[in-house]
Formats: sequence, structure tokens, C-alpha cells
Amino acid sequence: MNSSDQSLTAPSLLTLPEALRRAHAHWTAGQAAQAELLCQRILAVHPGQPDALHLLGLMAYAYGRLDAAVDLLRRVCSAPQVAASYLSDFAEMCRQRGLLEEGEAAARKAVTQAPNMAAGWNNLGIILQEMGRYAESRTCLEKVLAMQPENAEILNNLGNTCLRQGEVVQAERYWRQALALKPDYAKAHSNLAKLLAERRQYDEALELGRRAIALDPQLADAYINLAALESERERYLEALKWLDALLAVRADHPVALAAHAFVLTKLERLTDALASAERAVRFAPDNAEAQYALGYVLQTLGRPQEALAAYEQAATRPGTKAEDALVARAALFMEQGRKTEAEEAFERALERFPQSVNVWYSWADLKKFRRGDPLIQRMQALFDRGENLLPQARMVLHFALGKAYLDAGDSVQAFWHLDRGNAQKRATFTYDAAATSRLMADIADAFPTDLFARRQGTGAESSLPVFVVGMPRSGTTLTEQILASHHAVCGAGELGHLQWVVAGIVNYPHAVQTAAAGAIRAWGEAYLERVTPLAQGARYVVDKMPANFLHAGLIHLALPQARIIHCRRNAADTCLSCYSKLFSGDQRFSYNQEELGRFYRDYERLMDHWRTVLPSTHFLEVDYEAIIEDLEGEARRMLTFLGLDWDPACLEFHKTERTVRTASVNQVRQPIYKTSAGRWRAHAQQLLPLLAVLGLDEPL
Amino acid sequence: MMRPLAEILSESQALLATGRPAAVEALLKPHLAGGIGPIPLWKLLAVALRRQGRFAAARPIQEMIVETLPGDLSAHYDLADTLLTLGEFERGFREYRYRYSLPHTRAIERKVQRPRWEGTPIPGKTLLIHDEQGFGDTFQFIRLTRAARERSQARVIVEVNQAAFSLIQRSYPDFHVIPRGQLPPPFDYHCELMSLPAALGLQLADLPGDVAYLQAAPERIERWRARLRDLPRPLVALAWAGRPSHPNDASRSMPLATFAPLASTGVHCVAVQKGPAADEETPTGLALTRLGPEIADFEDTAAILSVADLLISVDSSPAHLAGGLGRPAWVLLPFEPEWRWLLTREDSPWYPQHRLFRQKTPGDWVGVMEQVRTVLHKMAEQHARQPQRAVS
Repeated sequence: MNSSDQSLTAPSLLTLPEALRRAHAHWTAGQAAQAELLCQRILAVHPGQPDALHLLGLMAYAYGRLDAAVDLLRRVCSAPQVAASYLSDFAEMCRQRGLLEEGEAAARKAVTQAPNMAAGWNNLGIILQEMGRYAESRTCLEKVLAMQPENAEILNNLGNTCLRQGEVVQAERYWRQALALKPDYAKAHSNLAKLLAERRQYDEALELGRRAIALDPQLADAYINLAALESERERYLEALKWLDALLAVRADHPVALAAHAFVLTKLERLTDALASAERAVRFAPDNAEAQYALGYVLQTLGRPQEALAAYEQAATRPGTKAEDALVARAALFMEQGRKTEAEEAFERALERFPQSVNVWYSWADLKKFRRGDPLIQRMQALFDRGENLLPQARMVLHFALGKAYLDAGDSVQAFWHLDRGNAQKRATFTYDAAATSRLMADIADAFPTDLFARRQGTGAESSLPVFVVGMPRSGTTLTEQILASHHAVCGAGELGHLQWVVAGIVNYPHAVQTAAAGAIRAWGEAYLERVTPLAQGARYVVDKMPANFLHAGLIHLALPQARIIHCRRNAADTCLSCYSKLFSGDQRFSYNQEELGRFYRDYERLMDHWRTVLPSTHFLEVDYEAIIEDLEGEARRMLTFLGLDWDPACLEFHKTERTVRTASVNQVRQPIYKTSAGRWRAHAQQLLPLLAVLGLDEPL
Repeated sequence: MMRPLAEILSESQALLATGRPAAVEALLKPHLAGGIGPIPLWKLLAVALRRQGRFAAARPIQEMIVETLPGDLSAHYDLADTLLTLGEFERGFREYRYRYSLPHTRAIERKVQRPRWEGTPIPGKTLLIHDEQGFGDTFQFIRLTRAARERSQARVIVEVNQAAFSLIQRSYPDFHVIPRGQLPPPFDYHCELMSLPAALGLQLADLPGDVAYLQAAPERIERWRARLRDLPRPLVALAWAGRPSHPNDASRSMPLATFAPLASTGVHCVAVQKGPAADEETPTGLALTRLGPEIADFEDTAAILSVADLLISVDSSPAHLAGGLGRPAWVLLPFEPEWRWLLTREDSPWYPQHRLFRQKTPGDWVGVMEQVRTVLHKMAEQHARQPQRAVS
């Protein structure tokens, strides 16, 4: 028998310090059974012996039994005399268990007792970071870094705090330092990937994220960051792939489920999205991301009261997601036409997140600014101080300020910001204006006048859908709102369904001329299948996806009884409105004046073609300016076109209780928006490149 | 085509359990046409291909699974197994690090509270190398400790299981060897024995490296030489079953009765078999001396193997012990072998003196035994023609 075996069988022969030393040495060597046995024997002789309890706690923690570990350490730390390192260990376990306040108290006690212990300051620093107290967190972690300048974990933690403080440059520096010291550090790879993705260096970010996963295949953040990256560039199926990969092994990860819900919403799989969000909240009711995701899905589903409740839940949780929740909450009030509550909500958001550009952007969108408005000055001050703003944030602020100065009638300032904001946005993607021109010409060619006569009787039989089409910002929202106020009409918002149908047609648009009758009917039925459930008993469902103007011919072919309403508006006003907007969706033509003008001309030509080939019984054109001049007359004209009786509610469209989800959201809440007609003339000097393409530059 | 997944899975499992991997492949193929399909089906297809010996075909599927679900650590391990079987040591041993991330192994991982040595020089430091699960693993991979010491420039402590301890201690007198369970002296880094290949970047071409790196105890050899002196030569040691708790034991072990054809060679055998299988009845006509009850430990087995002319064994620890001792062995392998025996080849790069006899079809020990009989017969004839030689 060797000496260690004796120690197991007869601990009473050992002094307490020797037994503890051996227990620790066994554990260091990974001999958990021997270490645990020694601890138990010590505790049998010395009940509550703190060092033995602490070691048992460490072992429980290492084997993933966090609750047991926390219980053991809590016992140790409740004694009046306790080692600072035990308090520090307890603090970190509390953090992992989500017990932030208890952890903070323990960590503070630890660093008071042992001000030179790096681990205590580090653990306090990350607890504070998780509590959203970034400045304090930074101070703690910088103290640790001074003690241990070569510690990669501390550099990584500091980077996280800096990022949350908005100091991206410093964050990147820390992460790169961490990686230089520890090249196989998965978390630092993943954090840097997230930063680069936000900076739109997608390829490098993807590489770093993949590397993080190769180093640590179960590092959840890496998957979530990669999904965010792919969502950011609108590759939702790719995003879904990363999340599915994570959920396959971590089925209850709340942040992954929340991200899953978002991506599914983007893919219009709303039932699945709701299931994921509800699952996230069920597993982690205290998680802000989960609550926020639930709010988002509920809002998309048209359940605003429940959405507001979920956003409120998210807004009261610690962490950065509260910002998004506060903005979403304010924006939802805005969508509901509850303007005072919205303004209050924005102020509340700014109180908590004074640096947030998203708050400003959403608010600027809602608000009508006057010259010298104090809100403009507050925004401008943020911009002027903003060296540390992420480029993305700077761009958002450009659009917010551009909008504000436009309102205030300051053309020069407005376009100084808009030109920069648009240029910055334009640099993030590729867009081939010539290809777009060709596509529209090809579509016109594919639907010659005689096509519809030749293919008569091939489409799906339903008069349910009404398509409101046109340029973005041309009054499609207003038109839909007027129609949806009628008791027989349901407004479904901007639906992506027709684009899905188109995406499924091989060799579109050329294929339509030779397509089998069965195929054409199937296209129509595929669309109806998705839209019919939205009708809720109404006679008509309005799909106001503006870009469906591209497919007016296809609509008439596959759904010959469907009505199409084309919204027209002054070309320059439309384009100005587009140019002042940072769209949430994909409007790539909109961020350069020449490209925007060219797109508008192509659109006009295509609409000229539809006007000649589509029957007036199924194709109606409405001018925005005419609606402004004579709302009732135009409303009656549209109802007649649809074969509907007059409903006075159509004139009270701004009171309709439903949620509007597009860029024009606040205007439809005002009775009518006459100031927007002819608005471009005041900014003609700044719009010269656009006007030249539109052919409006001569007669100023 | 639209059958529920659970139904396809259970039917496939049932077919695999009854040894019909080709039927599983046929069942799954239409569901995986076009290269898309649920991951559980792909996993089953990979198993079905491996069962048919088609490791190269299983490999891209397993790589795809790992690519799709990087967090599925079992999938990494499955890929490691296939890659190692194919002789792809580099990625194979890299993925092999997930061997303690499986549902049934997670709890047995040894959580050493010091960093793992990853192959860099650590002069002046102390490195603890500790063995893991099977005895065969220890006998096979202990050879890498010298290379690890050279590479690390560290002071090396080797910890091995109690059963192998004295043998390893004697064979590595220049190392500090301790038995498992004993408190090791303080150390700075550790490495599992089976993580050494990854740390060292071991390649197939580096094999065999050290040979005859194990030495039996001289006094035991003396004792067994005396004990076996009266038995006729050539003297062949037999082992027909591995540890019954091994997950693949059903296909690697065989009943002693399978050895019946060897009776016709007239060769005298000694059984070094231990465990419950040691009591199986001797087939009629086979000249077999049972040594099991006289074998106290691996020291006895090592000494017997050092005295006998040949070991004929299934894939079990005596085969590796013989290899480490530099003694010849014929290893009888199931159709789907363990990765360390690679595929198709009749030799082993690990053990130059070994000869491998593989099943041509799953479960066909009869065919294997027929080959063994033929070769053993020739060997006996040659032996008879030669003058009696002294055995070391």
C-alpha cells in the first residue's frame, strides 16, 4: 500500500492541513474520487470545514453541477472569516447562475479583503458588465490588466466591456491583443467576428466565426454571431443553418431561440417563429432577448397589446437588449397612433441609452421637426462627439439628421447628411443598374398584348387578392389604409409571397410564354394558399408590396380575377422621399441619385407597358396628389373599381385600429399630408443629379 | 417517401441489429436522394456503409455531418474513428479529442486542473502522461512517451493502470512511472496517453517508431520456460475473447470452438485467455494446455508470450502486449475492424511482426480460421524440418 491509500483509509492519522493538501493535489491531478473521499472524511471529523467545502464546490462546478456548487460556496462564504479567493470563486459561480447581485456583493467583499487579487477584480468586472454598469466594469478590468498585462482572458473581458460602451476601436485592440497572446482563444475569435460583421467586413468575420467554432464547437456565441452576420446581409437561410446547428445540441438556448424566431419571421414562417420565441421565454423568462423576440413576433402577427407587454418585460431586464426593446415599444405606440405615449417612450429610451442612434432614428422618423428644434441640437451634439460611433451608427445618424433638417427646411444641412448617409449605405452592397433595366425590359417583352388572350383560363380562380403596387414612398401605404378601413377589406401589409412564387419559376420571365396551363395555375394557387388564411372572412385581402409592380403581368396571368391598383406620385417627390430613407428592406436602387433616377425611369416604362396590356377592369391607377386634393372622390373611385359599396370609414382611415408596418408609418396616422406635394422644388439644387436623369433639370 | 422519420429510424436500427447494413443503405437511399435529408438518416447511412467495410464512402458523409452540426461532438468522434481507420492520422487524432464528449464517456473524463500539453517545448517543466481505458491502449501507445519527452524537453511522469504498472516500470527505467490512483508529484502540464499522437503530430509514416519496447520480467520468463519446457514446438498461445464489456465485443471475440480446425495442424497450444471465456470447452482434437488459472497478471502473460513461438489472438490486449514485446502474433479481425488495424492490409505498421487475418464477410470466423489453419500448417511443417532451436 502506498502512502496515499493510507490517507484514504485512515485520515485521522493525517493532520488537517496535510489532508487538505492531499485533497487539493488529488483534484489537481484529476483524481476526483480520492479528493472527494478525503473531503468527506475531513468534514466527518470537522463539520463545516470551509476548505473542504470549497474544494467540493469546485469539483461540483467542474462536473457541471452549478447549483450544488453555489450551495456549497454559499455555505463557505456565510462564515465571518472567509478567504478572499473563496469569495471570488463564489462571485463567479453566482454570475454563471444569474445571481448578479449576490455575486457583486461577494466580489466586492473579496477585493476589499485582498485588493491585489486579480481574480477578484476580474470577476467583479464581468459581473458589472453583465449588469450593464460598463464604466465600473471597465475600471475593475483595467486594474486587473495592470496586474496581469499578458492575460488573454482579461483582455477579452475588457474588449467586451469596451464594445458595450461603444468604444469599438479599443475593443478591437484588446481582442487582437488577446489573440496574439492566445491564438487558439475561441471566444476572442467570436467576439472579433461580431465586431467585424457589424463593420460589414463579412468575409473576415465569417472566417473568424468559423475558426471559433472549429476551436470550440459548442461555443454558442459563435453560432449566434454568425447567424447575425448572415441576417445582416439578408441571407436568412444561411442564418437559419447556424442556428439550427446550435439548437441541435443546445435545444433550450434562449438567445439562439430568440434569434431563430427573428430569422423565421424574416422568412415569413410566423407560426414557427412564435413557437421559437415562446420556447425561449419559457426556458428563460428573465432573458431580455427572449422577451424581445416574443414582442417582435407578436407585433408581426398583429397582436400589439401582447407585443407591448413583452417589450416592456425586455426593457426592464439588465443588458443591452433593453435598448432595442425601448425603441420597439416606442415605435409600436407610434404604429398604433398613440403619439404622446410614443414621445414619452422615446424620452425614456434616451434617458437610459443617451448614445443610441436607433432611438434617434426612430424618433426622427415619427417627429415633425421645426427650425431650431432642441431635439435637432441634441442629435447634432451626439454626432459631433461621435468619433467612437460605429460606422453603421454614424450612417443611421446621418439619415436621422437628414430627415430632421429636411423637416426644418435646411436643405444644405439636410443633404450634407443625406449624401453621406446614402453613400455609406451604397458602399455596403453591389447593385447593377443596367441589369435592373434589362430585367424590367425583359419582363415587358415576356408579356406581350396577345399573351393574356392566348393563355385565357389558365390562372387560379379567385378575386380575393388586391395588389397595391408602385414605387416605394408613392402612397401605397395611404392607399392600402384607405381600402383596409372598408369593412369588407383586410389589409395584409407588404407580403413577400409573390416574390417567393417568382423565385420558384425557373427562367422567369421568359418561361411564362411557354409555361403549361397547370404550372400557371399552380403559381396562382401557391400565392392564394399563403394569403387566404390572412383574409379572416373579408372579401378582399390587400397586399401592398410596392415592388409587385414588376409582376403585374404575372399577377394577371396567374390570378386573372385579382385587382391591381397602381399608386403614382410626382417622380421627384417620390425619389426625394426614397433618398431620405434608410429602408429596412432591400431597396438597393435608392442610395444614389443617378441610380434612383434610372430606376424610376425603368419603372415608368414598365408601367406604361402594363397600362397597354392590362384591362382597365382589373388595373386602376391612382395619383397620390389626387388623393390629397379629393380624398372622398378617389376613395369612391377605388371602391367602385372593387365593386364595393361606399363606407364612410374610408375617410377616417387614420383612426383604423391596425398596425402599419412600413416606412410611411407616421404619415398615415395624420389625417392627410399635404405638405409633401411638390416638396422637391425646395431642394432642387441638392437634387441636380437625380433631376438630370429624370429630365426635370431644365425648367426650374 | 413521406414516411415518418421515427419509423425509418427504427426500421434501420432493427436491420442493423440483425446484421443487414446493405438493406439499411437501400432503405435510406431514396430519402437522401439529391444529397439532402435529415441528419439522423445520414448518420445511419454512414454506419451502414462502415458495417459493409466502405469506410471511404462513409467519410464524406461524416465530414458533411460535422460541417453541418459542428456542435455535435459525437459526430466528431465518429468521423475520427473513420479517418483513423483510413490512416488519416492528422485530422483523425485531432477529432479524437472528443472521445470524452460522448454521452457515455463524459462522466469518466479525468478533469486534470493543469493545462494539456499540446506539443510545444516546455523545458524545465514537469509533464504528467497518464493512460486511459483499455490495457491494449496502454501497451500500444506507451511507445510515444520517449518522443514526448524529447519534444517537450520536460521532466516526464508516466502514470499507468495498476495491472500494467510493473511491466511499464521495468520497461521504462529512465522514467518516473507511478501506478494510477497514487498521488503524483507536482506537475505543470498533463497529457492523456491517447492525446500524445495529436500533440506529436504522429503520421502513419512515423510508425512503428520504438519496437520491442516492453520487457518481460527475467525471473517470470525463467519460471514459464520451466513450466512450458515439456510442451512440443512450435508452441502457440491462444486468446479468443476480449473484455466482455467492450462495446464491440460481440464482433471481435469468438467462441473457442471456432479454433477446432487448428487441431488438424497438430500444433500444441496454450490458452492465455482470462475472464469468463477461459472456461469454454476445448474443441475435440485440439492440443490445448490451459494456463489461465496460473496467470496472475500481465507479467505472466508477457513471460508466456516471450517463451511461446506465436500468439494467435482476437483484437484484445494480449495482441498489443505481444506487439510491445516484439513477439510475433496473428491477429484475427472482424469485418469492421478497430481503427488501429486500418483496412485490408495483412500487416500492421504498429507491429512489424504481426500478421492480420481479416473476416471477408461480417461474422465469418470460419473463413478466417481456414486461412489460419493453412498458414499454421505450413509453419508447423517448416518447424518440423528445422532442428530444434532454443527459444529466448
